[in-house]
Amino acid sequence: MIQIQNLNKSFRTEEVETLALNNVNLKVQEGEFVAIMGPSGCGKSTLLNIIGMLDNPTSGSYQFAGHEVGHLKENQRTQLRKGNLGFVFQSFNLIDELTVFENVELPLIYLKMNKNERKQKVMAVLERMKIAHREKHFPQQLSGGQQQRVAISRAVVTNPKLILADEPTGNLDSKNGIEVMNLLTELNQEGTTIVMVTHSDRDSHYAHRIVNLFDGQIATESHNRAMGALM
Amino acid sequence: METLQVYKKKEFMHQSMLNLFQYQNQSELNRFQCQKTLIMFKNHIKIAWRSLKRQPFFAFLNTFGLAIGMAGGLLISLYIYDEMNFDTMFKDADRIYRINADIKFGGTESKSAQVSAPMAAAMESDFSQVELTTRFRNLGGMLLRKSNTEANIKEEGATFVDATFFEMFGLDLLVGDMQTALKEPNTLVLTRTAALKHFGLKKAIGQSLVLNNTDTYTVTGVIEDMPERSFLRNHNVFMAMAGNEDAQKQEWTSHNFFTFIKLIPGADIADFQTPLQSMLGTYIMPYVQTFLPGATEEQLEASGNYLYYGTIALKDIHLYSAKDHELSPNSSIQNVYILSFIGLFLILLASVNFMNLSTAQSLKRAKEVGIRKTLGSDKPALIRQFLTESGLISFISLLFSLGIAVVAIPYFNALSGKSISIPFTEPVFWMALFIGATVLALFSGMYPAFFMSRFAPVKVLKGAGATSTGGGNIRSLLVVFQFAISVFLIVSTLVVFMQLKFIQSKDLGFTKDQVLIVDDVYTLGEKATAFKEQVEQLGQVQSATLSSFLPTPSVRSNTSFFKEGGATAENSINMQIWNVDDNYIPTLNMEILEGRNFDRQFGTDSTAMLINESAVAILGVQAKEALGMRIIRNFENGSSNNFTIIGVIKNFNYESLRENIGAVSMTLGRSTGSLAVKLEAGNFSNSISSIEGIWNKVAPGQPFSYRFMEDSFNTTYEAEQQLGRIFVTFTILSILIACLGLFGLAAFNAQKRTKEIGIRKVLGASIGQITYRLTTDFLKMVGVAIIVSLPVGWYLMNKWLEDFTYRIEISWWVFAFAALIALTIAVLTVSYQSIKAAIVNPVKSLRT
Repeated sequence: MIQIQNLNKSFRTEEVETLALNNVNLKVQEGEFVAIMGPSGCGKSTLLNIIGMLDNPTSGSYQFAGHEVGHLKENQRTQLRKGNLGFVFQSFNLIDELTVFENVELPLIYLKMNKNERKQKVMAVLERMKIAHREKHFPQQLSGGQQQRVAISRAVVTNPKLILADEPTGNLDSKNGIEVMNLLTELNQEGTTIVMVTHSDRDSHYAHRIVNLFDGQIATESHNRAMGALM
Repeated sequence: METLQVYKKKEFMHQSMLNLFQYQNQSELNRFQCQKTLIMFKNHIKIAWRSLKRQPFFAFLNTFGLAIGMAGGLLISLYIYDEMNFDTMFKDADRIYRINADIKFGGTESKSAQVSAPMAAAMESDFSQVELTTRFRNLGGMLLRKSNTEANIKEEGATFVDATFFEMFGLDLLVGDMQTALKEPNTLVLTRTAALKHFGLKKAIGQSLVLNNTDTYTVTGVIEDMPERSFLRNHNVFMAMAGNEDAQKQEWTSHNFFTFIKLIPGADIADFQTPLQSMLGTYIMPYVQTFLPGATEEQLEASGNYLYYGTIALKDIHLYSAKDHELSPNSSIQNVYILSFIGLFLILLASVNFMNLSTAQSLKRAKEVGIRKTLGSDKPALIRQFLTESGLISFISLLFSLGIAVVAIPYFNALSGKSISIPFTEPVFWMALFIGATVLALFSGMYPAFFMSRFAPVKVLKGAGATSTGGGNIRSLLVVFQFAISVFLIVSTLVVFMQLKFIQSKDLGFTKDQVLIVDDVYTLGEKATAFKEQVEQLGQVQSATLSSFLPTPSVRSNTSFFKEGGATAENSINMQIWNVDDNYIPTLNMEILEGRNFDRQFGTDSTAMLINESAVAILGVQAKEALGMRIIRNFENGSSNNFTIIGVIKNFNYESLRENIGAVSMTLGRSTGSLAVKLEAGNFSNSISSIEGIWNKVAPGQPFSYRFMEDSFNTTYEAEQQLGRIFVTFTILSILIACLGLFGLAAFNAQKRTKEIGIRKVLGASIGQITYRLTTDFLKMVGVAIIVSLPVGWYLMNKWLEDFTYRIEISWWVFAFAALIALTIAVLTVSYQSIKAAIVNPVKSLRT
């Protein structure tokens, strides 16, 4: 599904140029669950942003489902993101002014889906995430775990092929963290590819494969055999 | 008893000691408090200054908006001060009143600022409250020359005046004796400017001046120029009333004298109304009975006629008097109200901007408030700090506004027709500015100060304050308020200009274009006709007519006529009577509906009369039936004239379009005030120099003065044009202020919604969708403003139009157009910030 070759990303400020990603090569198969780990500032989030088509690489190739997407214009990236990718963030990134229902409905609006269909899909996903009873609440009225479930609902409501999760349990207590990881695992088992950035060893064990980044380069890659033990 | 006294004494001593002790402590405490306050104040100022420097963009928007509002407010305040202080410089101005008369007689109504000549003497003798009276008989412009020269100089503002003039208005003579200056006939007093122009200040006394080439007057005094803010401004020549024949006559029905009375101290003008009206029975009716035998007050009333006397305070004349033919053009309190509102709006708009932008910046200040509160600052201290900031901005804006006002004042004067200067040397002015700026700072700063000092430290330090500082509804309301005012001003401007355009393009019943008016033709005496004939010979001239009476501001004469059948109130017709020549109708392209124009071929045309449709209506007949009717002139001086109607002219607007068209009659007669010349299209300057060449040949040494009828017509609507220009200027200013506010708010909004925009973009929103979303939020507010302001605009502008007899109807598209302008301006203002926010990479937005 994802094929990254010789990918570089550098940031330029007035005085210095920082190389955030340095010659990264990565493949992610359809249905895979990959955890990206590494110390702060190693380029995890930059890589995730590029995989999520939120940002373009400075050089190198990024193929998504067989198409080169590394140098698309913003509009094209937006079009491709819609429906194909779902995002889960550490800080949930829900819109405070919108209710739970409206937050989840948002990606469907941008897909220009009709109202009835939207309602059906949103309610179905909220039911599934066991948060339907809170559909009229605003994010501020929910606990962290509930907010992240809403965020996951929003990420999956379009049935994306790929979910990108940036430290999804970073702001949660352990109980809620486990719940969220279980949800992601469930989605993965149903066929959704997941790429997750995490600091947490425990969370990384949910993944099939762990990619360790260090100073913008892939330092190690390991396959996870103990995954089942946690479940 | 003794014990009690001793006790009281001890008690007193004890109390005194205690007071002294407390006083010493209090004094130290006060000094300490004072020092503490000063240190805190310095600290507040320092922080306020740094805070401004840290956010130069918002500081600029705030200061600039406030400075524009203040400058506008300052100029308007000076204008209003000027308008409200007319005629206050005269001594005893509080006790001086002018007598007015509202008259309806012979089908014509008039609101006169003048009353009959004998009124003044009668009031002085009959009413003990009247201390003094002074009459003016205004002559307007006239030609003056020294007795030993031929060349005339035109002097505007000549009037006959009673010798009590100086005492009435507390005026001193610069040169001459006040007791005798205007006592004798054919004496006059000049103003300083006029005296310097003709003779020099000291040399003027005893010199002779020939007025209008006829009467010789001796200069007996020189007075200071009349103040700009007085009803006598532009009056330079004051001639002794003793030499005016009409002033000596007991004619109670000719209203040609501006009559001022001074009441004795303590007298109340309200008590004067009844005695004043009683003069109708005491003097006027007996006089009327001399030519309408048996006429009574009851009959007068029953026939729908009336004569009401009234008074107006000297100080109110400028703003509250709108009578026919005032001594000087007046303003109106309505204009003062309109300008006051505009000034208030401007300051309010700027103040609202300030509130909006300050609360909008609260995002950045929330953390600071949290930290300060954690470190022990209480709410009042924070409020004081924020008020110091608003004070600082207010005073910086004040400095800018003074700069703007200095630059703008020449334009403002041109706009308002004033000659206002900024009174920099007046301490009161600075005091007013200081108080104004402080009040404005408190007013504008209070809400943001309370708003920001309210933040809970726990919330804001956690970061919740960054997106949920609240106050959004109030900010929206303030934007709605700003735009409502702007839309209202746009509607008002459009309506004023449409009415002006309507006036200028309305079929007036005569053609004013390409008509040149040569004034003061009477100075040519017998040679006036020769002058006219020579002008007519010019190739560029279509035709020319000699008359003092023109359908633009000009000489007027109202006279009572009677239908055949007897001099009764029912038969009376009050009409303008204009002496014209046979070329008058064709030169001004007037239309004869029935009958014919004057014709030199008919010897009988010396007693022929043309009347307009309004006169026909008073006669109560059809136009055709009016032909051949005989009209008898009032029996003035025992003589009477009979006229035969030979034609009916289509109504033409000879007064402002605010007025109905009154009855007009024209007779053939020699009236040589002006020569109206209809020119061929083309180069007018050639035509003018040709005519001037003829003038100089016919009347060497006489000043040649001319004007175009169109310009003369336009001066009638000077007030409306002025209002239009003022509206345009202040509409632009208010829109500018509103836009500054909206621009700042849009920037704030984009900043506040950075994260939301990022999330939406991640979820698939396009740049267009984000821009649309951010922009429409503001457009909704502008939409509400439009809905609120349009009915108000419709109502108030219809009220304004009610003053015009001939007016436009406000059509729907005016509102649509105003709405469109407001929306376009809002879109342009907001979309820059919206697009800027929409194109930011969501990765950046979500990182913050």
